Amino acid sequence: MTFWRYLRALLRELSDETAYERHLALTGSAHTGAEWKRFSDERHRAKYSRARCC
Amino acid sequence: MKAALWIAIASVGALATGAIALNRDEPVNSFWLILAAVCIYLIGFRFYSKFIAARVLALDDNRATPAERLRNGYDYEPTNKWIVFGHHFAAIAGPGPLVGPVLAAQFGYLPGTLWILAGGVLGGAVQDFIILFASLRRDGKSLGAMAREEIGKVGGYVALITVLLIMVILLAVVGLVVVNALVGSPWGAFTILATMPVALFMGIYLRFVRPGKVLECSAIGFLLVLLSIFGGQWISLSTYAAAFTFSGITIALAIIAYGFLASALPVWLLLAPRDYLSTFVKLGVVFLLAVGILIVRPELKMPALSRFVDGTGPVFAGKVFPFVFITIACGAISGFHALISSGTTPKMLARETHARYVGYGAMILESFVAIMAMIAACVLQPGVYFAVNSPGAILGKTAEAAVATITAWGYPVTTEQMATLAHRVGEATLFSRTGGAPSLALGMAQIFSATGGGDAVLGFWYHFAIMFEALFILTILDAGTRVGRFMLQDLAGNLYKPFGRVSWMPGVIVSSALVVLGWGYFLVQGVLDPLGGINTLWPLFGIANQLLASIALCVATTILIRMHGAKYCWVTAVPLAWLVTVTFTAGLQKIFSPVPRIGFLAQANLLTGRSAFNARLDAAVTAVFLILVTVILLDSLRVWASILSGANQRQVRESAFVQSQLSAEGL
Repeated sequence: MTFWRYLRALLRELSDETAYERHLALTGSAHTGAEWKRFSDERHRAKYSRARCC
Repeated sequence: MKAALWIAIASVGALATGAIALNRDEPVNSFWLILAAVCIYLIGFRFYSKFIAARVLALDDNRATPAERLRNGYDYEPTNKWIVFGHHFAAIAGPGPLVGPVLAAQFGYLPGTLWILAGGVLGGAVQDFIILFASLRRDGKSLGAMAREEIGKVGGYVALITVLLIMVILLAVVGLVVVNALVGSPWGAFTILATMPVALFMGIYLRFVRPGKVLECSAIGFLLVLLSIFGGQWISLSTYAAAFTFSGITIALAIIAYGFLASALPVWLLLAPRDYLSTFVKLGVVFLLAVGILIVRPELKMPALSRFVDGTGPVFAGKVFPFVFITIACGAISGFHALISSGTTPKMLARETHARYVGYGAMILESFVAIMAMIAACVLQPGVYFAVNSPGAILGKTAEAAVATITAWGYPVTTEQMATLAHRVGEATLFSRTGGAPSLALGMAQIFSATGGGDAVLGFWYHFAIMFEALFILTILDAGTRVGRFMLQDLAGNLYKPFGRVSWMPGVIVSSALVVLGWGYFLVQGVLDPLGGINTLWPLFGIANQLLASIALCVATTILIRMHGAKYCWVTAVPLAWLVTVTFTAGLQKIFSPVPRIGFLAQANLLTGRSAFNARLDAAVTAVFLILVTVILLDSLRVWASILSGANQRQVRESAFVQSQLSAEGL
């Protein structure tokens, strides 16, 4: 993996965009505002119930 | 050939470490620090982590990881190891490795640097790696769950309560860092205030305008934040400056109100968009700082050892042993990393051997961030460093008194020098800007501006660094408050069922208020403390964080004893013994030292009213930490003795072996 490809992949992972793509593929849904809302609500619920590092 | 290469790396590392350790009286170039650190990290990673991976943990790529076995496309997902590395590093890198080394620089550059290197390679990285491995073999279980399983129920509950208490202290201390960075600074205050509407705009943009376009939205947010830095400069030079010049207590109360609101507001509106932005800015700044240091290779102005190793330091009180270890905290070993290593990361690893790169490797990188923070602090003239980081109560009320005090310590500085520097960075004064953030920002600004632009861009870079620190500290504040709220609701739900429902509004409001009041009380106490608050709160946080690491190392040692008996338990038992020695020495000194600047009880005897109560409260909190860890330590010793004596069977509690079906491609 070249540096730029890695950087792009990392940024997309950190921004949850890759996870959203996986969600769409897994559920067989198309991208809509409502679908993003459903995904991000679930994602954030899990993400922000864990302790943050110092 | 390979052996010759490693012998060369070891020799260069030894030479560089010798150069920084043995040098006295002459300025040392920061390049020696970088060289020593890189060689030590390479050797630690190549040999020690490989030994742990192969002999101690026996990592097995044929074994399917939780990401493969429990794959659900959400949290369990096999991911490329470098992506997981970046993800894990972004999660473990907080303000600790930046602020801790800056404060520890009061002892000189050497004690902190040696601990960052030794502690990182032999302690912190080992803890992160082994906890990650343990969680990986247990379906991604959390540290608390593993403590319950491996040590017992008492251990599990103690771990939960300790985390909650540590969070309260952590949030107070990081809040104090922000307060001290923004006091009397219209430029800084405006910039940080402007990040609020920027985050709200990003939240609405992402929810309703361009759903799912996080990178695009973050890029717009970043541009707006950059604009707000220029806006802050304009404000500071305009007649509106007075309207954005706040006292410490005003900023503290605003942060408390913000923490409460952010914890109760929907995540998508404020917290999530700012979290995305602060993660990208954090990674970018760490990268920029590394590049900047390599290009500029600044000289370290701070001596190897300052006169304050004797415990009379103005930044915080206490001798180099044990306080340098407590102060460095996350840059060498952090208990909080164990929570991340047993959180998201084990659910993303595609192969067991990746745990070495991610667990050990990411901590090495964090340790390197701490080295860079140490460099940024030590490129300042020592007189300037002490003028910025020493509280007013020690320096005196006027600039003349302050420079006279600092010069008498043997670190000359003049009022003109401080006034010129303050003017260049757009601040009214830089005296007594305690907390570590302003001096780190000054050091970073000097490095960045030396790469191009010179003095003309010093102010921009200073406020960029302040914005960067405040941005992710505020994200920690609201995310931490929210997590504390969940923990409290979880505990209170056992007494009254509806309280346990995270969507029950009265429960949300009451628990948010309780958590905010908890850290808010310590924050206000810190702001009102004539010694600047950091003298009290940072050691308290350091002790708490290192004690959490002790809990993680207890769990790790228990697991190693279950796997191999006594054979390899030294890998975690030695760092554990060191941490327990250091933190208990520091904790007991903080409670019982007869020197009022160190001992809380001695301090309480000199004070009256609320101040005396606060000092006793700090002593009580420290005592609670020590007692909780004593409980878990004794419980662990009981388990180890029963296994090693043969009274109990040596039972490894891992998930059953499942053959991996993943191909190596792309992982």
